[in-house]
Amino acid sequence: MNSVNTNIMEINIGPQHPSTHGVLRLKVTLEGEKILNIEPVIGYLHRGMEKMAENRNYIQYLPVVDRIDYLSGFFCSYAYVNAVELLMNIEIPIKAKYIRTLTMEMNRIMSHLLWLGCYLLDLGATSPLFYAFIEREKLMDILEDLTGARMMYNYYTFGGVKKDIPVDILKRIYDFAKHFPSSVKEYEDLISDNPIFTSRTMKTGILAKETAEQFSITGANLRASGAAKDLRKDSPYLIYNLLDFNIPVKQTGDSYCRYITRINEMKESNKIILQCLDRLLTDENDNEINLKLNPLSIKPEGEVISEVESSRGLMQCIISADGSSNPLRIKWRTPSFYAAQLLNTIAKNHLLPDLMAVFGSLDIIMPEVDR
Amino acid sequence: MIMSFLNPLKALLKGLAVVLKNALKPDVTLEYPEKKKPLNENFRGRIKYIKENCIKCGLCKKVCPVKTAIMIGDDFVIDYTKCIFCGSCTEFCPKNALIRTKEYELASKDKNNLIMKENINYGNN
Repeated sequence: MNSVNTNIMEINIGPQHPSTHGVLRLKVTLEGEKILNIEPVIGYLHRGMEKMAENRNYIQYLPVVDRIDYLSGFFCSYAYVNAVELLMNIEIPIKAKYIRTLTMEMNRIMSHLLWLGCYLLDLGATSPLFYAFIEREKLMDILEDLTGARMMYNYYTFGGVKKDIPVDILKRIYDFAKHFPSSVKEYEDLISDNPIFTSRTMKTGILAKETAEQFSITGANLRASGAAKDLRKDSPYLIYNLLDFNIPVKQTGDSYCRYITRINEMKESNKIILQCLDRLLTDENDNEINLKLNPLSIKPEGEVISEVESSRGLMQCIISADGSSNPLRIKWRTPSFYAAQLLNTIAKNHLLPDLMAVFGSLDIIMPEVDR
Repeated sequence: MIMSFLNPLKALLKGLAVVLKNALKPDVTLEYPEKKKPLNENFRGRIKYIKENCIKCGLCKKVCPVKTAIMIGDDFVIDYTKCIFCGSCTEFCPKNALIRTKEYELASKDKNNLIMKENINYGNN
């Protein structure tokens, strides 16, 4: 009977748990309060996004892709639309490129703001959520007036975007972008030096650069570990090569670094928004926003990989097409799927209350994991 | 030693200053059922079907991502229990027979209220 260790306990967190940000189940093996092993169980939010593509034509699948990552739908939409454009070998108008960049960076700020609020909520602080949502709400209102929906935009189309941005909406975005740095300053005053926050996040969940690369981690999680890798700089798409912005990098790789990286990313996104607005507000004579293709006649052939640096990391859409009206096969590479595998490596040997502090800092969103 | 107490205290006071500054600002929320946010014409609410404009071309069905949300036979049916309000049908309709409305409070006790059915069979005459 000596071989039975009665101190070891296995508990189940989720799938319905407020701090797992969706339906993730964690099988955690504990010794007292110390975590010995974590096994994430996924699949509770699987909607068959890849299979759905096979029996829908190209335009029917377009509204669905926003649901892959509902917090930043423009990135999924861009990855898919760009893949079809690459298959058809067409170049979109320059104004459409500016509008896509502008809306995607707005989406990045929205996604990071929601992460910021919810992460602090996981750590027990309620008020930062409201501060983050004040700014997020402004962006959502702008995008609602532009696209017609608050999260599921369905705004991009093959060969451009569906509608032109009116000048009054551009001015509202400009007002937001001018005001936003002072809001970020407020978040930093409120959170960054807070002794409770720093003691819970510093030196917890340390992700070494080598481990991150072994697990194919991308995005802010990787950049917080010291690797300055960002698709917007490494192989610029759209108009990123014309823009002036930096890639925030931190060295330590703990939860606090991931927080700082995302805060700095929001500032950089704001810089990009202002640069896009400069072009869109000054050149009002350029009205070509799409190529006016007939989406029902799209029948491309070939295989292509389209990449985008989404708010959570590198997102890829791989399309294999056989010249019919439906795609033959679509595969999505989503960054959260890789980040979810990290938990057992970086949260091991932590105490149980630290588990959610580490998990939240990775910015995992479940619809992206399960697709 | 003293600094290890003072620095966290300073940080907490800095955070409190933000809270106090914001406490004096006007409300940002709306009391929902009484007050509502104005919506613009792009808003994708319940879809309105105008029978007189419809030419039965079936384009709305071809672009609908939910295959069973729009059905065209003797009746023109829009099933709001399945519709995802993507706006594709209203966008592609060539004769403006489907238009977007600003109606978004669609909850109902009866499922039949969420299925729009209109007879479009004009007979052979």
